[in-house]
Amino acid sequence: MLRFIIGRLLSIALTFTVVSIIVFLMMHAVPGGPFDGNDMPVSDAVKAKLNASLGLDKPLYVQYFKYMWGVLHFDFGVPFQSPGETVLQLLGRAWPASLILGGAGVLIGAPLGILLGITAALRRNSWADYLVSAVSTLGLTIPVFVISMMLIMVFAVWLGWLPASGWEKPNSWFLPIAAYAAIPMSTYARYTRSSMLDVLNKPFVTVLRAKGLSERKIIFQHVLRNAALPMVTVFLPMFIGTATGSIFVEAMFRVPGLGAYFVSSINLRDYPLEMALILMITMMFCVAYLLSDIIYALLNPRIRFGGKE
Amino acid sequence: MTPHTTPSSALADVGQSVTAQRSPLYFAFRRFTDNKAAVVSGLILGVIILMAVFAPLITQTGYADQKYLTDALAFPSDAHWFGIDDLGRDFFTRIVFGARVSLSIGFSAALFSVLIGIPLGAIAGYYGGTADWCVMRLIELFSVVPPLLAAMLLGALTNGGFITIVVIAALFGWVQVCLLVRAQIKAFREKEFVRAAQALGADPGYIIRRHLVPNSISPIIVGFVLAIPMAMMLEASLSFLGIGVPPPTPSWGQMIFVGMNFMYFYWHLAVFPTAALAITVLATTLFGDGLRDALDPTLKGR
Repeated sequence: MLRFIIGRLLSIALTFTVVSIIVFLMMHAVPGGPFDGNDMPVSDAVKAKLNASLGLDKPLYVQYFKYMWGVLHFDFGVPFQSPGETVLQLLGRAWPASLILGGAGVLIGAPLGILLGITAALRRNSWADYLVSAVSTLGLTIPVFVISMMLIMVFAVWLGWLPASGWEKPNSWFLPIAAYAAIPMSTYARYTRSSMLDVLNKPFVTVLRAKGLSERKIIFQHVLRNAALPMVTVFLPMFIGTATGSIFVEAMFRVPGLGAYFVSSINLRDYPLEMALILMITMMFCVAYLLSDIIYALLNPRIRFGGKE
Repeated sequence: MTPHTTPSSALADVGQSVTAQRSPLYFAFRRFTDNKAAVVSGLILGVIILMAVFAPLITQTGYADQKYLTDALAFPSDAHWFGIDDLGRDFFTRIVFGARVSLSIGFSAALFSVLIGIPLGAIAGYYGGTADWCVMRLIELFSVVPPLLAAMLLGALTNGGFITIVVIAALFGWVQVCLLVRAQIKAFREKEFVRAAQALGADPGYIIRRHLVPNSISPIIVGFVLAIPMAMMLEASLSFLGIGVPPPTPSWGQMIFVGMNFMYFYWHLAVFPTAALAITVLATTLFGDGLRDALDPTLKGR
């Protein structure tokens, strides 16, 4: 176990380094710099001076090591688009809204999806099963910004029950969270259904039935426990996925979260913020995968770490 | 024919009355046709492909002709089934030509995914050890970077466009193909026929090309079909962020984006491209699921 975790930590460090180098190179390969915008044109001399003051005139590898040295000390630099604060302060300001949106979306969507999946699996090939399949497939095939638009049309425009945008009042939270919950719900409904059916067809279920165990005990004590295993592994990575998935929902509902900064940091060549965002997401994904592997192993004693896929 | 009858032709002679020899393909086909949703999806997909191929024949105008500027934003009617868009173009024409963009992005991205995924999966599965470790680290690299972020960066680098979208979709689509192929080849590596080929002195490249890859054809087909809807969704998302296929090329994602600005008054501009995208993605997904269940019943539902 310990050997496995150390091995994985080393491989995370490797992944992290490679991603940071690739992203840094790609970021600087995009033509133009932070002062080439058309809003406030500056002369070449001023531009050179500004670039020098930010250290952008130095060779790329010097800039890279300087930045990464800062990252190791939790110093992600100062965002060019908002020089009055550090990157960490900006994240601390914008993240809570995204976290509430994504967290609530996943925490509502996932259990709902699991319930739908169980219902569909237990009543296989009934109208309930087809309905769940239809809803979950639609949820995964209609782009999330269209789902948002439909929610706005129905609940804000026609019925007038809820505000179409904003984040200040709690009642403006409903629609974005509902839009957000669509993807986790659909994913979980599909996962749960197939993994339940998988377990229901196993010979041990037949044995339990033959022994005369009540159907309820079979489902809740045996089938669900076994079916939950593969679902556990998807949860954490999906939770992290909220960070980027929120770009569309936040844009549609004017939620002041992180989403807009993903786009603006790339468009404005805001190198420190861009690096910080991508590195943090990469790190969180790595940790999420590691944790879900550990949880999976703890729940499933059959997994041997050495021979694991 | 020689007087000798081969076993299969002998069976074929009596096959009509006793038992016909049935190939695995026959059973796969039967499993596929038993799946109503998959058959219907396949038919719909076929119709959409035909529409895309013969687009100029079934539409009245070119996709960029602003012939109906005076009727801009008109609602659907007999003359214009899907209405007219904000720039005076027949919307039905745009939707039909949009199928070309979506499908060609989907199919070329899937093709490149398979072209990257097969060799890497084969090497990882056949050699194991260090090669496997390297490929798995590479896969890990692609699983921790969100495709959308990478797409945005690459889009800024190349100003978006058709090729960028195909490249990004393939860069993130090959992972699934690679994993499927790797698992299949790992399972087949120890089989007797591979041992026999090794004993006869066949080199690894030959074994992989002639024995292992042909035996992995079902996961390859499945990976190919399932990579298509992923690429189409990515195109729509990128178009929403403004780094998709540049206008006036008709892409559904771009049409949805424009249509949403008119949503409150002219619903048809957003509804038709959304429906077109959803139906195509849905049909491809269900067709792929059916194909997977038919070709490899052990994978069912995964």
